[in-house]
Order: sequence, then structure tokens, then C-alpha cells
Amino acid sequence: MISIKNISKWYGDFQVLTDCSTEVKKGEVVVVCGPSGSGKSTLIKCVNGLEAFQKGDIIVDGTSVGDPKTNLPKLRSRVGMVFQNFELFPHLSITQNLTLAQMQVLGRNRDEATVNGLRLLDRVGLKAHADKHPGQLSGGQQQRVAIARALAMDPIAMLFDEPTSALDPEMVNEVLDVMVELAQEGMTMMCVTHEMGFARKVANRVIFMDKGAIVEDATKEDFFGSPRSERAQVFLSKILHH
Amino acid sequence: MNTLALLQSAWPYLLKGTGYTLLFAVGAMVGGLLVGALLAVLRLSGIKALQWPAALYVSAMRGTPLLVQIFIIYYGLPAIGIQFEPITAGILALSLNTGAYVSETMRGAINGVDRGQWEAAFSQGMGRWQTLHYIVWPQALRLAVPSLSNSLISLIKDTSLVSVIAVTELMLATKEVISTTFQPFPLYVAAAAIYWCLSLIFEQVQRLLERRLGRTLARQP
Repeated sequence: MISIKNISKWYGDFQVLTDCSTEVKKGEVVVVCGPSGSGKSTLIKCVNGLEAFQKGDIIVDGTSVGDPKTNLPKLRSRVGMVFQNFELFPHLSITQNLTLAQMQVLGRNRDEATVNGLRLLDRVGLKAHADKHPGQLSGGQQQRVAIARALAMDPIAMLFDEPTSALDPEMVNEVLDVMVELAQEGMTMMCVTHEMGFARKVANRVIFMDKGAIVEDATKEDFFGSPRSERAQVFLSKILHH
Repeated sequence: MNTLALLQSAWPYLLKGTGYTLLFAVGAMVGGLLVGALLAVLRLSGIKALQWPAALYVSAMRGTPLLVQIFIIYYGLPAIGIQFEPITAGILALSLNTGAYVSETMRGAINGVDRGQWEAAFSQGMGRWQTLHYIVWPQALRLAVPSLSNSLISLIKDTSLVSVIAVTELMLATKEVISTTFQPFPLYVAAAAIYWCLSLIFEQVQRLLERRLGRTLARQP
């Protein structure tokens, strides 16, 4: 489904990604972790072309992201993305947030888009908030709306960029619950997150990145059982010991 | 003639002048917003061949006196066969001038909207223009209102410069009354009072607009 082949990226002289390769198969859940500044977010944003890369290529469902001839908006409309800071549209109601791209990008009519949007809003448990604006919801609620908004486009895969990092601790679980449910339903997911509980529960594989490179790409069992690299061991001991 | 009687007899002329002043102000506000929006879009287009002429235009309009611009449009352009009625020339000059300032405000406001909003819209397959139209511009407008209002309120005062091309707006109307009554002090004060009143009205409009645009965003953290 998502095939990352030898990606390298530079900001000027500074190399942010070094020869990264991995694969996410259909229905797989892959968790990407690593210290801050390791390039995780940059890598995941390369997958839908929000960040450009200078070397290598990424193939999403048969389409090359790096090919200048690729219709990136069309590709993006098929890959859902959830951001660290939710990025709901603050000037639009929750319903409008859920329906805008369905209508503008997929050409669905308002009724169709609204029915679909509200169905997904109900699924994340927020149907009662349909007419509110994002600013009236808590962070956890906003992030659940953001997930519903991405799902409303009927994506073939979902990308999560630190979806719980900006949340107060008591709101983390409500978002993770939605993500676990999605994973169990067979959604193809690539998640940048430090939530190792989530990784243990649903991940097929865990990727550990450091300094722009993929240091470890292992099955969940191997990763938590006996990470091969010293850096991953140190990282795990730091985030699991409390 | 005492002051009250003077103002009473001058009133119809000043009122008519005020009508023209309003025509210039409102006409140039609409024109200025259109020109400004166009320039802002050109400067944000990412296409060099469109960016630099727009930047040059803004620099030239901000770097030369409005009075000179009015003279060029009304007295200068006929030399190359382009002639305007005084009212058209006035509205045109004010629009082109205000547009330059407005475009900078708009550009700043658009840049002031968080990059994440663009990314979120892009991630759903929206294009550049769709994102600008539906997502970024409505938010930028709210950031732009105070500074846009500034430009538009100065515009009301700038209309007085159009008196140099023989349009009897408030300033020229006042001067004409003075030339027959020889009472500059009360009449100029009256003109100033009218300009101020017009500005106050527009300030009120600004306040209403800010409240309206602010309502839906008020609780945004």
C-alpha cells in the first residue's frame, strides 16, 4: 500500500532524512517512534507529498509521490491525515469541517456529504456537537473530529502525526480508543506516536528513527522483546520507565 | 452675517460636496479592495513573472504622493490618448493607490494564518485556490480588519485631494463657499467636522464587522 524507497531529504545543507526505506502493507498498522527531531514527522509528511524529498521515491497504492506528473491533490484525497495540532478549520462549524472537502474535492452533494459526515461524527461519539465550532470543543474532542474528517473522504490509508502529543493527559485515551478501533477494523495506518501502549495493542511493526534514519524496523514482538539497536534500547528505557 | 446663518446658507453646498466625497470614498473602497486582492494573489502566486510586477507596482504607489498620481491620471494620461471624466479619474486614482496598501495588509494577513491550516486542507486533496478561498482567506480577513479599516478610513480624508481636478467634493465645495463669503474659519471647521463624522460612521462599521467575524472564532484557544 505504502512503499517508501530510499528517501533522502535536505533543508539546504542539513540532511533531515537519510536513505529511509520501509513498507506498510494493506491492513497493517505501523508505529513510527524516536526522539524529537529524528525526522518522524517529516517522513510521514513525505508520504502524502506535504513535504518534498530530493532522493528516492514513495509509492502509494501504485502512484508515485515523487513523480512531478502525479496529481498530488487527487492522491492526498485518498490518504487521510491527522495532525498534532488537530488543524480543524476554526471558522467553520463541525459539520462544515466534515463536509467541505467531500463536496469540493469529491464532488458529493451537500446532503450526501452531511449524512456521511454525521455518521462518522457519531462513530467518534460527538454527534451532539455537530453545530458547534472547533473552539468550543476540548482538545480530545477536536482530535476525534479531525479523525472523522479524514475518514469522511473514504481513505485507503490513514497517517497520524503525533495525534496525542498536544493533548492533556486525561484526553489521550479517548483519541487512542478511536485509533485502536480503526486499526481493529483493518484500516491501513502509519502512526508517528510515543504511545507505546497503543503500539503494543495494535501495531504490526514498530519503526524506530534517529537522526533522520530508520534505525530499527521490527515486528512489535521483536521491538519490545529485544530491540537490536542500542539507541532504541535507550529510548525505550526512557519512555517506558515511568 | 453671523456664524449660524452662514452655516445655514452654506449647508446645501457642503451637503452636496459630502455626497461626492462619499461617492469617492465608497467607490475607491470597493475598487481598492479589488485591486488589493488581485495584487495580493499575484504576490502570493509563487510565479516570479507575476510577483515582481506586483511588488514593483506596490512600491511605486506607496513611494509617490497621491497628489502626483491624481495629476498623472487626470492631466498626464490624455497626452497618450487616455482621457477620464474627473469623477472616474478620482475614483481610479484613489482605488489604485489604496489597492497598493490594502494588498500589503492582505498579504500579511494571509501569511499570518497558520501553515497547518494549509497542510490540513491540502491533506484532504484541496488545491491552492480552494484552500485560499475556503480556509485561509476567511481567517485572514479577521486578522486584516483593523488594518484594512485604517486604510479605508484614511481614504475618506484622501478624497479631499481630488478637489484639485475640479470635482466639487466637500473640500472644493467648502473653498467655493469661502470664496464668496470670506469666512474661512467656521467653514473649514464645519468641513473638518463633516470628515470626522464620516470617519466615525466607518469606525462603527469596523466595530460591527470585527464583532461579527470575531464571534465564531472567539473561543478558539
